[in-house]
Amino acid sequence: MLLELQDVRGGYGGADVVKGVSCRAGRGDILCLLGPNGCGKTTLFRLLLGSLPLRGGRIRIDGRETSRLTPRELANLIAYIPQHHTPIFSYTVLDVVVMGRAAHFSPFDAPKSVDREAAFAALEKVNALHLANRKYTALSGGQRQLALIARAICQSAKVFVMDEPEASLDYANHQLLMEVVADLAAKGYCVVLSTHSPEHPASTGSKVLLMKEGCVVGFGSPGDIITPENLELAYGIPMDVVTVRDRYGTERSVCLPVKQQNRRDSI
Amino acid sequence: MPQEHVEIQNEALQRRRYRLLMLGMLAFLIAAVLFSFWVGYYPLTPLQVVQAFLSRLGWRGDVLPQAVTIFWNIRLPRILSAVLIGASLSVAGAAYQGIFRNPLVSPDILGVSSGASLGAAFAILCGASNGTVQLAAFLGGVAAVSASCLISRRSAHSQTLSMILVGSMMMALCNAGVTMIKYIADPNDVLQQITFWLMGSLTKTDMDALRWSAVPMAIGLAVILLLRWRVNLLTLDEEEARSLGINVRRDRLVFIAASTLLSAAAVCLGGLIGWVGLMIPHMARALTGADYSRLIPASAMMGAAYLLLMDDLARSILAMELPIGVVTAVMGAPFFVWLIIKRREA
Repeated sequence: MLLELQDVRGGYGGADVVKGVSCRAGRGDILCLLGPNGCGKTTLFRLLLGSLPLRGGRIRIDGRETSRLTPRELANLIAYIPQHHTPIFSYTVLDVVVMGRAAHFSPFDAPKSVDREAAFAALEKVNALHLANRKYTALSGGQRQLALIARAICQSAKVFVMDEPEASLDYANHQLLMEVVADLAAKGYCVVLSTHSPEHPASTGSKVLLMKEGCVVGFGSPGDIITPENLELAYGIPMDVVTVRDRYGTERSVCLPVKQQNRRDSI
Repeated sequence: MPQEHVEIQNEALQRRRYRLLMLGMLAFLIAAVLFSFWVGYYPLTPLQVVQAFLSRLGWRGDVLPQAVTIFWNIRLPRILSAVLIGASLSVAGAAYQGIFRNPLVSPDILGVSSGASLGAAFAILCGASNGTVQLAAFLGGVAAVSASCLISRRSAHSQTLSMILVGSMMMALCNAGVTMIKYIADPNDVLQQITFWLMGSLTKTDMDALRWSAVPMAIGLAVILLLRWRVNLLTLDEEEARSLGINVRRDRLVFIAASTLLSAAAVCLGGLIGWVGLMIPHMARALTGADYSRLIPASAMMGAAYLLLMDDLARSILAMELPIGVVTAVMGAPFFVWLIIKRREA
């Protein structure tokens, strides 16, 4: 397994926010983290990225225990694609993408033509080559996400961590971005992403980790985990999972919160 | 892919443009240096300047002895000082704006100039020689920044925020000390000296002061020039920079140390010269783009040329010499207002 979490614990101050999470994902997996606000998704990300120390359990990427790695070694294994990234200065997209090479440099190095070529290649992989010389600050939210994905590719990590990629995007851009993510998974990367929409894993994810209050409600394939019982347990409101067909007859799962006043038995 | 071709060509074009720009800046700086030998209270013709220059290199010809003295003992140290101070303040300012992730930061933010002022004022009060005053200023500046860094480590806020908070406290404390020293100083002699020192002026620069200020400046400039691309990484959010494999706190401290050497040496050579470190990086950024690989060399050259020309202005605009700190402030303050208005529109 590429990514293995065993009974991971961590938090701030006195209390643990993540209270024993175990899960695993391999090459080509898209692992969706699902759960209500404050369930510990962000904390779990910080533990994964090493910006918060583990208080228990262990995280292995590619067989290597992350708590024993330097930031530089860790950067060769796992890359972070933040949701909000507003640079102070107006860098070009190429400047931003090439920063992904930092972990490959010795302190006195600066990007050379090899690195710029890697940046161009990474931009091409996400179909964003035309943005290369544009100002990053002038891009839309979706284009910025593409640039940051290209930066992660440039970093040559195997695991990508995306913090709520749909949060600042409109519906169409979100769909486009998810196609890129699916494409990355198909190329052998492992993508871990957090999301607020429970039907999201069913359409894009290959694995789901459903969390509540720092604990795991369920981990497995979307079909097994995204059930009315589990969702009600996690979110505390009744929900239905309905299978619908799109115009081509493909079956898809949709989650619906059940409205109390619609109950037939009250009539 | 044709698209790939276009973008790569475009990028190569920009790099060629940058090289041309640097050549242009270098030519401008050299022209400014030559021009500055000619400007001043004692008129030297361009021919006399050349003769004075050659006379020290073994040329035996008919040359005014005053011209030789003015060239080598007065104008040369002054021009070199202006070039070095301008470059140092601009490079330190550019680095600070990046590592504090704030475009409105100037090199004094951690208290380097206030600490240097306190050191200098105290030394003048004790009746120290010119060299000792400069040493005291240098040490005062370094001490203030070190104290800011050490105290801010104990704060629970983010590193940049706590440093800026502690830095402004340090500035207030040092300024209070300077005021106290001015208050008890003899108004006929010591107070005047302190006031003049604090004004920022290149009148008293000589080869001795220049020689030993150049050492910390050279170290600071070399460190920042060699590591300059990494400033880009520190402009990112701390967590994001870490995920790219950066030891954020260590890298930031390296840049702070190098910038402090630069600004402390600049202050002890020329006193308080404000606004250069804030203004020049912005002007350079407008020409080269945000990438620090290009920004730092451009800031160094533009800062050097700018301060040199400001000093020429200070010593030629009126019959008496103006303090250069006043000239740069008069030029810089409106620029700052313009910057704030521009930011609000953006």
